[in-house]
Amino acid sequence: MKYYITLSALILVLFSCHKKDSKIDGPSLEDLNGQFSVLSPLAASIDSVDFASGETVYFTALFSKTSEWNLKITGLVSGAVKTMTGTSNELNASSSLWSGETTNLPIFKNENCKVELTFPNETDTLITYVKVLQAKVNSGFLISDFENGFNSGWTSFIQSGANMNFQVLSDASSPQGNKYYNMAGTVNWDWLIGYVYFKSTAYGGAPAFPLSANPNSVYFNVMIYGESGTTNSIVLFQFEEDENSDGIFTAASEDMYAKEIKVDWAGWKLVSIKYSDLEYLVNGVPATPNGNGTHDSNKIKTINMLHLANPNSGFAKSKLDYIIFTENGPLVP
Amino acid sequence: MKALLFIILFSIGLSAFSQEGKKVQFVGGARSLISQSDFTSDVSDTVTAPKTTGGYALIDLGFKINPNENTEVLGMIRIKNQFGGFYGAGVTFDVRQIHVKGVAGKVLRYQIGNIDYKLTPYTFYNHNPDLLVQSLGINKIKEEVLNYESFYKNNNWRQQGAAADFAIQFPKLIQELKFNGFITRLNPSASNVLERLYGGGNVIMKQSKYLTIGVNHVRVFDLLQTADNDNAYRNVVNSISYDLNKDGEKIKLSLDGESGMSKSFSTQNAEGGLSDFFIHVKGQVSFKKCGLKLKMAYMENGADFRSFGAQSKRMDFNQVNSFYDRYTNSQILRPLSYYDLYNDPSLYSSSISTKIMSFNPSINNVLPYGIATFNRKGFYAGFNYSDPKKIIAADVTFYRLGEIRGQGTTQLRSFSYLTSTVSFNLSNWMHWKKKQVFQLGLAYQETNRSSQFTFEQIILKSLTASLGLELEICPDLYLLGSAFLFSSKGNESMPVRTPEGNIINFNEYLVDGREINLSSGIKFNFSKEVYVAAVYESNKNNFSAENPYKYNQILLYYIMKF
Repeated sequence: MKYYITLSALILVLFSCHKKDSKIDGPSLEDLNGQFSVLSPLAASIDSVDFASGETVYFTALFSKTSEWNLKITGLVSGAVKTMTGTSNELNASSSLWSGETTNLPIFKNENCKVELTFPNETDTLITYVKVLQAKVNSGFLISDFENGFNSGWTSFIQSGANMNFQVLSDASSPQGNKYYNMAGTVNWDWLIGYVYFKSTAYGGAPAFPLSANPNSVYFNVMIYGESGTTNSIVLFQFEEDENSDGIFTAASEDMYAKEIKVDWAGWKLVSIKYSDLEYLVNGVPATPNGNGTHDSNKIKTINMLHLANPNSGFAKSKLDYIIFTENGPLVP
Repeated sequence: MKALLFIILFSIGLSAFSQEGKKVQFVGGARSLISQSDFTSDVSDTVTAPKTTGGYALIDLGFKINPNENTEVLGMIRIKNQFGGFYGAGVTFDVRQIHVKGVAGKVLRYQIGNIDYKLTPYTFYNHNPDLLVQSLGINKIKEEVLNYESFYKNNNWRQQGAAADFAIQFPKLIQELKFNGFITRLNPSASNVLERLYGGGNVIMKQSKYLTIGVNHVRVFDLLQTADNDNAYRNVVNSISYDLNKDGEKIKLSLDGESGMSKSFSTQNAEGGLSDFFIHVKGQVSFKKCGLKLKMAYMENGADFRSFGAQSKRMDFNQVNSFYDRYTNSQILRPLSYYDLYNDPSLYSSSISTKIMSFNPSINNVLPYGIATFNRKGFYAGFNYSDPKKIIAADVTFYRLGEIRGQGTTQLRSFSYLTSTVSFNLSNWMHWKKKQVFQLGLAYQETNRSSQFTFEQIILKSLTASLGLELEICPDLYLLGSAFLFSSKGNESMPVRTPEGNIINFNEYLVDGREINLSSGIKFNFSKEVYVAAVYESNKNNFSAENPYKYNQILLYYIMKF
């Protein structure tokens, strides 16, 4: 019996008891329910920031209680907007770090930015400013941002319809830089309004675009503008693969993956597609590709961009800018 | 025609199989339910169809094959036909269960496929923390249906995986060492979601008939390199369980319990993980002659104790009803009621969740994750009585618990919880041959947190009371009755958690409502495993003061097991 008593006592004392915990789980209720006041004003960690060289900026502020907050950074020239939200009693490097990226297009330029901190449940608005010395540089293979006009190595075709306007334009509405490619017109006999073929040979005579062979890590990104009031534009991208590296794309025996984008929004929008997600399309319907059936992202010879619209739908318009391949993730502009 | 040919060929195959001396058995069950409901709310509602008719017929057909005396193969399919579905419409075919089990080398017992498994209440255990009172009468039928649907039996979790056990016996010092192990899959890998497995086992040493000690281990773990993600999650629980007893002529004494610790972390943030321990000790005295058993226990579950195999709930309270899910002209969502817990088996799941699941504080605020609930400390005591003539049986337990760590404040909640079930067997009392049973159940909970600040104060009281009766009025024909009352009043401060379980905010929970359900019916037993029951019930719910509702329902069950 002594043996059992000793053993049970041992088991009981094996673990020491919890003492009253001085920590609390979650935010303090006193903080959540107390009076709101700003204990430390909104401030930027640096006055000016060079995103191109890898610098970042963060914002600080301290409040008397845990609150929901919205931080909005607006480019005073570009109109670009970066937003951040959170619920805390302070802003710090972990909650408000900015690396120059944008939430709503356009992309930030080298410009002064206004930073506003608001609270959904309070009337206070805190403001500070930060200057972007050099805007963020995106890594990847740039097909075109149209800043240097129309590349002579590309080929294009424009139907002879009404009000045709296929050209590089320059105005303040550009989401990146100052220029973009405008596509507009009425073609009432054909779906095709116009096209541009971006050939790899236009980039130093390369037989294929210099991309990774892993189609799961290659992303195709493009900024597309939808004209308010029209939703009939279709932008079709086709990716021709020169699988046998003979310098020619053979449609009957090589793969051509495609993405059809119905431009049914107003304003600029970033569209990003993982290359391995592309399909072979026949009249817009997925079908079995004609080649080896694998996504050979390192063998893309030509990218065909076709602007289409239903011939009965009338005038169609959209714009393109900043066509870029990125690796390991979609473009974060 | 093809189906007929298939059945004929299959039957020939089976008979040939049987003729070789190998056994094939058909196992399974069948159930049919027809319901007619009439729903009304006190506010204007011209959108919700007040009357609905529904139901289904289903058959679970299983083939249990024993190719040899040491091996069993079970495959079970479910054919379900929604009421009103004909010629393929509304008919579904599913695989309900499949497993292979047997004994290898007359030593190792194994099972692969669907496994029903549990270890200890703190490691891997299917607690039932929401149906607080025992059922009898009509609610018992409903509870049996939902338990059957989700494979809830003996607190096991139904999982897919493999299990094995074997034992070694010794001539001296130790009688037996028993080894148990299992592995199951919690989720498959996706693009950046790692394959998540759950496994573990225990070693149980039976030293003598007086002493048994177990060493238990379970872990949730992600398999690296199964997806584009290097941050693997781990939840590890280790415990020691024990059972000491001294069985005398008049009195039996026992001391049992479990103590251990858990650790939860991600491989890329091991320092930011959680670890904590728990203790549970229970002493019992049984007075054999008078049928009285007294118990007293101490439990202490740390605030950061996480054991998802024991803390997963059967029901996720964030989900939406499937029975009258919306009502009123605004088509507001009808929150889960206590009645839905009995009425809708589709609300239950057999998944182990690695998130802290939501719960209804009105139903169970004291132990929402069963006895393994984290952040609880205190005593409980009770008694169990069954008179020698088996006329009356009672089971009463009272918990007095508190938090270890405050939520949003250093003030701690305190909890009181009384649960009791009393059964009267009138037929034994009156010496009638026909079965006459009457049962009362009660669960009362109270949560308090006092503070100088009003926003920290909590007072929440809940009562669940049930009554059930089964009266055999002529051989195999029973008159059934059930009633329950569920009421709750007060306030709580419900934590809002991130997917990782961290509290980021609190939502104020205010409640003042009552739900009453009355039902009666008749049941005829064709045999022990086959019966038909017709039920009429009325339910009234005013938990939403602005939108109270009530409904009546007629149900016809036909249930068969074979």
